[in-house]
Amino acid sequence: MEIVINGNVIAVPDDLQNVTLLDFLRDFVMLTGTKFGCGVGLCGACTVHLDGVAARSCQTYVSDIINVEVTTIEGLDQTSPGEGLHPVQQAWIAEGVPQCGYCQAGQIMTASALLHRNPAPTDAEIREEMNGNLCRCGTYDRIRRAITRVAQEA
Amino acid sequence: MEATTKMKSISRRRFLKKTGWVAAGITVASFGAFPVVRDKIPALPTFDAPSEKDGLTWIQILADGRVRFYCPRMEMGQGAALGLTQVVAEELNIKQADIDCILPDTDHTPPFQMTVGSQSIVNFFDPVSWAAAQLREALRAVAAEKTGLSTEQILDGRSGFKLPDGTTIGYAALVPATDVIITDNRLIENDNLKRYALLPTTKHQTIGQNWLHHDLTAIVTGRMAYARDISLPDMAFGAVVQPPSFGAQLVAANSARALELPGVLGVEIDEAAGFVGVVASTPFILSEALDVLDVEWQIESDFGQEQIDTLLDVERLRADDNFTHTLDQSGDLEIGQQSARHRSSGRYDTPFAAHAAMEPRSGLVWVRADKVEVWCGTQDPFFVQKRVAKILDRKVEDVVVHTHRIGGGFGGRVMCQASEAAARLSAKFNLPVRVQWDRAAEFQNNYFQPGFSHFIDAGVSQDGFITHWDHDVVSSSILTGLAPGLIGKAIDLATPDQGTTRGIRAPYEMTNRRTRHSAIRTPVPINAWRGLGSAPNAFAIESMMDELAFKSGIDPLQFRLKNLLANRARLAKVLRKVGDMSNWGQVAIPDTGRGLACAVYKEETAVAVVADLTIDHAAKTIKVTKVCCAQDCGLVLNPHQVESQIMGNITWGCSMTLNEQITFAQGRVEQNNFHLYEPLRHGSSPEVNVALLSPPGTPPAPVGESALPPVPAAIANAVFAATGYRCRSLPITYEDIFAETG
Repeated sequence: MEIVINGNVIAVPDDLQNVTLLDFLRDFVMLTGTKFGCGVGLCGACTVHLDGVAARSCQTYVSDIINVEVTTIEGLDQTSPGEGLHPVQQAWIAEGVPQCGYCQAGQIMTASALLHRNPAPTDAEIREEMNGNLCRCGTYDRIRRAITRVAQEA
Repeated sequence: MEATTKMKSISRRRFLKKTGWVAAGITVASFGAFPVVRDKIPALPTFDAPSEKDGLTWIQILADGRVRFYCPRMEMGQGAALGLTQVVAEELNIKQADIDCILPDTDHTPPFQMTVGSQSIVNFFDPVSWAAAQLREALRAVAAEKTGLSTEQILDGRSGFKLPDGTTIGYAALVPATDVIITDNRLIENDNLKRYALLPTTKHQTIGQNWLHHDLTAIVTGRMAYARDISLPDMAFGAVVQPPSFGAQLVAANSARALELPGVLGVEIDEAAGFVGVVASTPFILSEALDVLDVEWQIESDFGQEQIDTLLDVERLRADDNFTHTLDQSGDLEIGQQSARHRSSGRYDTPFAAHAAMEPRSGLVWVRADKVEVWCGTQDPFFVQKRVAKILDRKVEDVVVHTHRIGGGFGGRVMCQASEAAARLSAKFNLPVRVQWDRAAEFQNNYFQPGFSHFIDAGVSQDGFITHWDHDVVSSSILTGLAPGLIGKAIDLATPDQGTTRGIRAPYEMTNRRTRHSAIRTPVPINAWRGLGSAPNAFAIESMMDELAFKSGIDPLQFRLKNLLANRARLAKVLRKVGDMSNWGQVAIPDTGRGLACAVYKEETAVAVVADLTIDHAAKTIKVTKVCCAQDCGLVLNPHQVESQIMGNITWGCSMTLNEQITFAQGRVEQNNFHLYEPLRHGSSPEVNVALLSPPGTPPAPVGESALPPVPAAIANAVFAATGYRCRSLPITYEDIFAETG
């Protein structure tokens, strides 16, 4: 079987079809931007896009990914028009969001999927959508500001 | 603690040569006394604060005129490296693009103090500024030699100097092909050394600017390498069987079934060390291998929460009038009690807590005949270096620790047990081995914030002054929390723990006062957690202040200002500021409340917060909607970073107040993932409004933990304002309030 990750076709060895997408990304494809946080879908650090929709890669098995394009943080900039970083990544830098930064790939993947679906989310919609992504450093307030910045600049 | 390093006279030049410092460029170096790691036991964390001359080993100008700065602080989100980079730039008149800030490995610099206690700017500002200024003056001397001018004629320019004829000379033009070492006798005397970082803030070029951290692009593109992300060609993958409870002893292990699995390379069983680990050529088989390892443990302790609660009972100790230490005592409590018009007393409890950093720890170790390399994230790489050397019975200098940005520290990342396990496995199987903890291991095997149990009896006179303050607290020693059994008990008897008692002295005028403390020891490993005792202690003190204000019929802000110690003018200012910011005093609407609290962190940083909350009866939740914070932490190197730290502390404070509690059963932690220990989530996080006060001429004060202490009390006081119910035990839940108030 083959899966498409960031536009690249990756052949899946037979013995790895039953591993999680998270482990496959990190330990086979060596795309380590997607993070392990809890392993049970509670923290959002492993969030990727499946056909543009945010999904927890630790709760997705490689064998489930049939005719679905996977986008990880490393490929996010390819999903926006123009050169350079995705607008959400740019806003994250402009607002100086990250502290330790470990959860931020997941935060950015959730936020970019939200903005793709809903370019002008309300504060309540942002809070609800982002609620599954934990940040222990406490960057939530800056994350809201960055998302709002993208919405306003769009 | 001084025993960790000793002064030994070796050639600093040799050290610099060894590390490649002098290959090209100018280094200011000081010969003579120089701290080196000592091989002797025991391996202890790196406590020693830096001296000015340590700074000389951190900063170098390269042949292309750029500056290399091995920032002697580990990075875990606090961003201290950025502020210190700005100090280097201020002294050397350079731009951010001219400086490479590098997280040092253990062979890049001599050992430096572990990254704890919000000391990165406080302790390192001065040596970094001093050393960068010495380097600038060394370059000026080279420019003078080159041009035949006097140093007085060589004026500061951008990334170089200006000459009297109007031409400029860049640093790059001053770095010769051969190395230049400026020795002790050429260092500028302190009285003659201009220190731009010490000038008034209006003269600063870079200090006070909101530079953005140099790692941001790597972080937002997923390219930042945390320890978990590191791999080596042909490395093996290790995993460790975690003990089922604290102190459990390994009896026997059978590896037969694990060894049959495809990819399993071997199993290491070391009964004396209590270690069972498996190594495989693929990571995907590890969890199955762990499942089929047959391990027998002898349970040493099956204690549960009840036993801990019995020990952690301040009222029992009060009944026996039996406290080990009297932390302060003045006046006469009885006289105070008699003159009290209003009196209040209460017990305040806070639970055990976990760090719950987002990155579970990981270590990659490659043991070879001549060298041991470790890749990990730790708050003290020199401690990891010593621990690994000890486990492998190798010389400390044979071990190199490659450091990585840490995915959250908060005091919980001094040790890196995953690296120690990887070292054992790499030594045994002759391969580079990576060991990663999962979330359950992170909850079960780290150390914890201890529970606290306080009792305060206090009173207020007719005219609104505090008549007496009788405060007792029982908890566990934090800084020495990992000391073994009898040694730990002896320490507890000898001296009160500086971490546990942090912030225990209320900043108010109290003529008749007494504070007593006892420490308990349990099988639970205890050590640093954000702010140590400061938040539990401020919770008790600032809750009682609110109770006294209410009973006296005085506004809580005015009551604090009225009773503040005369030497707490900076705290008074932040209190007034937070009052202005929050429009304090406005009438509350039903089911909303606002609470105020303040603290002085480590006797240095003054903080006041106002928390607004709403009670949602439909959802049965308490939600902190907004927190205003005024903080005076002296000179601010980077306001954005400081605000980020304050936001982080406020979120942490809301989380510890409303969500977090570690409990024990059968000798182990009951919480193993975020469904049972759930840090505050996005939907519950408050809007944060920050004001920084920075009196002219004040040095930098701690930031990384300073805004935390007042937050729990501010929330509890807001709950009282909203409901009339006084929460004296954390965490505060909706059910607790409305069960009790009926």
